[in-house]
Amino acid sequence: MSSRTTFEQIALPHLDAAHNLAYWLVRSRPDAEDIVQDAYVRAFRGFATFRGGDVKPWLLAIVRNVAYRWMSVRKRANNVVSIDEAFAPRAGDSVGEAWLASEEPSPEALLIGAQERARVLTALAALPPAFREVLVLRELEELSYNEIADVIGAPVGTVMSRLSRSRAELRTRLGALIEKDEKDAV
Amino acid sequence: MQCDEAQGLISASIDGEVSEASAGDLRQHMAACPACAGVQADFRRLSQQLKSAEREILPARLETRVRQALAQAAAEARPTLVRGRPWVRQLAAVAAVCLIAVFGTWTITRYVDSEARIEQDVLSAHVRSLLQDSPIQVASGDPHSVKPWFNGRVEFAPDVKDPAAEGFPLAGARLDYVDGRRVAALVYKRRLHTVNVFVWPSPHAGDIAARLIPVKGYNLLTWSHNGLTYWAVSDLNGAELQQLQALL
Repeated sequence: MSSRTTFEQIALPHLDAAHNLAYWLVRSRPDAEDIVQDAYVRAFRGFATFRGGDVKPWLLAIVRNVAYRWMSVRKRANNVVSIDEAFAPRAGDSVGEAWLASEEPSPEALLIGAQERARVLTALAALPPAFREVLVLRELEELSYNEIADVIGAPVGTVMSRLSRSRAELRTRLGALIEKDEKDAV
Repeated sequence: MQCDEAQGLISASIDGEVSEASAGDLRQHMAACPACAGVQADFRRLSQQLKSAEREILPARLETRVRQALAQAAAEARPTLVRGRPWVRQLAAVAAVCLIAVFGTWTITRYVDSEARIEQDVLSAHVRSLLQDSPIQVASGDPHSVKPWFNGRVEFAPDVKDPAAEGFPLAGARLDYVDGRRVAALVYKRRLHTVNVFVWPSPHAGDIAARLIPVKGYNLLTWSHNGLTYWAVSDLNGAELQQLQALL
């Protein structure tokens, strides 16, 4: 079995996590795809240096590095992607399609729930990358503190304090968003 | 437990990443502190909202793209002279080109420079010898006197001849200094002209045919033979200088 086949077998199952992290770091769909492709090629080339163990944090750490490099290039190019564009509905997207599967809550409650979630995601997207990434890794990817520490290359204590600060920051910003929405509604 | 200590643990507690003891202390504090309890509730809700948020849908084409890129990377992974990232290879190529260019230029200029310097040196030595009372240290027309005179003065034995019969009588010899080394200078006469023939060893040059270089009205004739380099300098015309070269 070639090394490529081995690599594909252990790395491709994490494609979804890699894509999600890349998207949340750069908040652009085409760029997230490019980053994932680049990261996988780099991971494959560096596969010989992989010391075994859990492949997911190792892979996500590479995705993160590529994404950060990409972000610094974008910063230099002064090319800012707007949040509106990043959150534009995709073709085939609809609130109903996404949420009707559970059937239980009323459509109104669903709509409110969807609105709240959209607001949380908007607030998350506006966080600095260092805060955003720990939240994405913890809440969306459900990684343990140890795994997050491996991905971001920091001690577990740092992961703990950064998550705490990220949640506090998210809470503050969300409060401000809600206040603004209510003012707009009036 | 104080509020600031509690706030540091709330986040970790909802992730289940605190010790049993700390979790107990936190619960105790929470029961008495509505503010911290509120923060915990907010954090919990945020966590649930994020967990239930719609994930980015993985585009189906991405897996195909990645597989293709990996296949290409595997094909390119053959051993090469310089391994590593593309920019490393580019850098190596650029460095190699620079190195070749620098070395080439250096070699050429060094060669050209040394040629020009030797021309200057032999001409200066010739002119200087004429400015003095006598261009010779040992005055003799006998090659068997002149040749031994060089023993111990230079580290080679120049071939000394006396073509007096052909009109180039040997006047004598002296030591001179050309191109940073001690050289033998043989002095011949042709009517009223003086000819300086500078000789030094050049073991790697091989035999080089004579080349006439006119400089400031003087004629310089250079050649190499039997591991020795000769420079004949005079105000004599080039044809007669070449005639002398044939006799030596």
